[in-house]
Amino acid sequence: MVDIKKKANELLAANAVQVVIGFEEGTSGKSRAIFAQDAAGVDKLIFNSQCVLNLAVYLTKHEIKKLGKPAIIAPLPVMRAIIQLASEFQIKESEMAVLGVSPEGKLVEFQTFAAIESYLKDFKIAMDEKEKEILAKISNMSLSERFDFWMQELGECFKCYACRAACPMCYCHKCAVEQNKPQWIPVAANNLGNLEWHAMRAMHLAGRCVNCDACHNACPKGIPLNFLTKLMMVDAKEIFGQDGPSLKDGHLLSTFKPNDKENFIR
Amino acid sequence: MTEFEPKIVAFVCNWCTYAGADLTGTSRIKYATNVKLVRFPCTGRIDFMLLLKAFGEGADGIIISGCHPNDCHYTSGNFHARRRWIMFRGLLNFLGIDTRRIQFSWVSAAEGGKWADIVNSTVKSVRELGPYNDYKKVADFLETEVTNG
Amino acid sequence: MSRIGVFVCHCGENISATVDVEKVAQVAGEMGDVAFSLDYKYMCSEPGQALVQQAIKDHNLTGVVVSACSPRMHEPTFRKASADAGLNPYMCEMANIREHCSWVHERSEETTEKAIDLVRMMVEKVKYDKPLEPIKVPITKTALVIGGGIAGIQTSLDIANCGHKVILVEKEPSIGGHMAQLSETFPTLDCSQCILSPRMVEVAQHPNITLMTYSELESLEGYIGNFTAKIRKKAKSVDHSKCTGCGDCWNKCPSKKIPSEFNAGLENRTAIYTPFPQAVPNKPVIDKANCTYYKTGKCKICEKFCKAGAIEYDLEDEIVEIPVGALVITTGFQVKGTDFFPEYGYGQYKDVITGLQFERLASASGPTLGEIRRPSDGKVPEKIVFIACAGSRDEAKGIPYCSKICCMYTAKHAMLYQHKVHTGKSYVFYMDIRSGGKNYEEFVRRAIEEDKVNYVRGRVSTVYEKNGKLIVKGADTLMGGQPVEIEADMVVLATASVSRCGSEDLAQKLHISYDAYKFFAEAHPKLKPVETNTAGIFLAGACQAPKDIPESVSMASGAAVKVAGLFSKDEMSREPIIAVVNRMAPPQFSSCVGCFLCQTACPYNAIEREEIKDRNGNVLKTLAKVNPGLCQGCGTCVAFCRTKSIDIQGFTNEQMYSEVMALLNA
Repeated sequence: MVDIKKKANELLAANAVQVVIGFEEGTSGKSRAIFAQDAAGVDKLIFNSQCVLNLAVYLTKHEIKKLGKPAIIAPLPVMRAIIQLASEFQIKESEMAVLGVSPEGKLVEFQTFAAIESYLKDFKIAMDEKEKEILAKISNMSLSERFDFWMQELGECFKCYACRAACPMCYCHKCAVEQNKPQWIPVAANNLGNLEWHAMRAMHLAGRCVNCDACHNACPKGIPLNFLTKLMMVDAKEIFGQDGPSLKDGHLLSTFKPNDKENFIR
Repeated sequence: MTEFEPKIVAFVCNWCTYAGADLTGTSRIKYATNVKLVRFPCTGRIDFMLLLKAFGEGADGIIISGCHPNDCHYTSGNFHARRRWIMFRGLLNFLGIDTRRIQFSWVSAAEGGKWADIVNSTVKSVRELGPYNDYKKVADFLETEVTNG
Repeated sequence: MSRIGVFVCHCGENISATVDVEKVAQVAGEMGDVAFSLDYKYMCSEPGQALVQQAIKDHNLTGVVVSACSPRMHEPTFRKASADAGLNPYMCEMANIREHCSWVHERSEETTEKAIDLVRMMVEKVKYDKPLEPIKVPITKTALVIGGGIAGIQTSLDIANCGHKVILVEKEPSIGGHMAQLSETFPTLDCSQCILSPRMVEVAQHPNITLMTYSELESLEGYIGNFTAKIRKKAKSVDHSKCTGCGDCWNKCPSKKIPSEFNAGLENRTAIYTPFPQAVPNKPVIDKANCTYYKTGKCKICEKFCKAGAIEYDLEDEIVEIPVGALVITTGFQVKGTDFFPEYGYGQYKDVITGLQFERLASASGPTLGEIRRPSDGKVPEKIVFIACAGSRDEAKGIPYCSKICCMYTAKHAMLYQHKVHTGKSYVFYMDIRSGGKNYEEFVRRAIEEDKVNYVRGRVSTVYEKNGKLIVKGADTLMGGQPVEIEADMVVLATASVSRCGSEDLAQKLHISYDAYKFFAEAHPKLKPVETNTAGIFLAGACQAPKDIPESVSMASGAAVKVAGLFSKDEMSREPIIAVVNRMAPPQFSSCVGCFLCQTACPYNAIEREEIKDRNGNVLKTLAKVNPGLCQGCGTCVAFCRTKSIDIQGFTNEQMYSEVMALLNA
């Protein structure tokens, strides 16, 4: 952490950046985001296993952009989100500084986004044992068992949209759910509306999710909605060979190969 | 007791399947009345949310049909649609939504017979699956009063 | 509030026999926002259309639904009728209750219910229809023709004679294409060069045609009526304005060992050359890849001997940018070489040649001045075997199609041989004889009956050399599969016609489709043979599929009239069914977030980036914008947009949503 704080202070002092986005200690032993604009703020920076919030979500918020050029503390999930956001033209290399944090907690400096992408090659997104177990458990249920399972889980949702607020990929300032001509997703919390909301969100994240679990961590009811997006990631990898965010490859759904294989179209 | 007649919506592209269905009509080939067609300029235009909306409004089955790969009037709309369906079908299946009720097909403007085939076989298989009550129960929350939890 | 009129057609008995049309009209009249409804026997007839127009005026209708046949049939009819009555034509829709209902179902309650549902769906759609105006696009009245063979020459002359400017681009140093290489043409045995040369000269001298030889298309941008083409004029190293065509340079050129493309490799040419004596323009170019000066810096003999001082070694390729309104692609074909056939020697046997090489032998200006001689030792062959379908109609060789012209030119070659070598014996091994054109069958009969060409129905399994002769082993299937062995002096393979090398690249530059064999794709195999799916780009000749000269010329004239039709107006009207990205007041400007998924997905490159700037020129946002001239209205972008910022007029999100809702809610 020392090296990170040192670098952050350097950048602030030289006015290379005006705000450092990082983690600080929150309440009840959790952590929260901090937007440090001076040495006192930098002093509060921490990095531990409680730091699960995906800070990249702040890079697209205009309230943060107004503070000036940011430096962002970037552990692996944040790095991946940065690459994905850059490939979608939401952030520019010249408009931010990235203070990477290796899995061991050491500072990794990056000059370009391409450097981040090549660093990430050693840390490919993969499902760990527990995730694989849960995905398998759900997939092995019968059709009606699965439907009941999800109706039960999604029935807990009361449309607070915390998942959307926490996800770095949900940067649309007018979300599809806020359309009313036509009203695609009913506003109220009922099973149908919840199903439609989460299905739509999962599809909108197809090929873009960076597996940071921010959505699940933000959900006040602890709904495993991150598994919907995890399924999309696994499908994207197995069927189309898409392996994590990339600056060059096009988006999963807006590109195609003439020989994409399927077995369900007559 | 009347036999259950499934309600099926078909989302079709204007240049191939709609024209193919026209040919079915011109050739006077008969098929079941349960299927109603909605015309789109291209399969690429079909929003995946419309499928969920159709089920939510009481459809028991859905047919989605367009031009064969490489034949799209707009060059690549059906390729994008294909990718979208591959991913969406995976998601629907995972959610426990019955993808056996959704029939995807490529029907060209010359395949009047194939269209009648697709309609008849889809109606038959959906009739066997029965009405999509699981989904209707969730959708008719005003009546069933099943909201959350 | 909408005031919609619903008009239900009986279509004689086509609809009324199975659908209760009176009931449909009655139920429609009770639907929300429907101000008027009726049923009538023939809506598309004049009195039927008059009913629609009267109702529009009497009831102040804001929208019309005609429930009848398929919109693919009569949508333009009713849209025009509505327009004539003062209603915007895009407020008129059709419900298909004939092809999709009455013709495919039996008479029953369900059929009538379905018809009512289909009408309800279109009523909902019309509620969200907006009046649209056709988009007017200006047209540049210059045509670009790529490929200077007979098709390109014909189409250029036709378009130029209509009074429009034509740029004809040809990648070889001369126009003429394969037709210039032929000796005589079937079925008349006209001398090919004799009928072609006058056309070539006409092209060169025509005031409306600009000829660019030794040039290729570098890139193409834009859309119908408004293309910008970049042409690379390769450096000829000879200033054609000074050159007199005297020929001293190529007579003195020391690099004489370059296989001549025009003579199909049977003869050599020099590094500075014209491809053939009747070349247009008849001025040489230097083949830089094979010229001693360009390779080593030494020589310069041509410059020394050129009395006109026309040699300019330092000329560079020039790229010119030209605005054009339409293109005609006439790049032609090429033939497979003998090295494609392992069973016939992999091209190792000098006396196994292709049909094109035989043409050069038979040609009066060819390497043997018209005498049929063996390439190996110059002797006149006494026995020639012609093998038809060499490579074509063969799945195993990857060419399952028929190359169309080979049966005819094989008969022609055999006849020419017999005419030139009276004592010669010729054999043609064939599978079928395809001679479907005018006078074609009579031509082949002449070869068999008058010129005594021996036609053997069977395939040749192998050809090998023995003691200076070529042993041809085949079978005669009309004699029960009896093996046939011929000791031939020469074997001519009617090799398959295939698409030109580089066709795929050209098609991708032009954004036109091509098939599995890289032949360019026509818009419809029956009804649109000269158009492509890319508006403004037309096809003619063998680049679309193998064909003979009369067909290429017909197609070329067909393409020319399409271009002339396009140029006959000053402005073009396009259907306004296009995508639009929403715009709102600042600070949002649009719900678009600038992710540009739509841009990657658009097959027509119709999405542009628009920078929204403040008064000081700082960029606030970069948003997507649709170019109305390019968008073809497929709607793929609409389905991608996460924020639903882009929508397609005529098939908006609201409309599709309400159609689905209406269909399912009884």
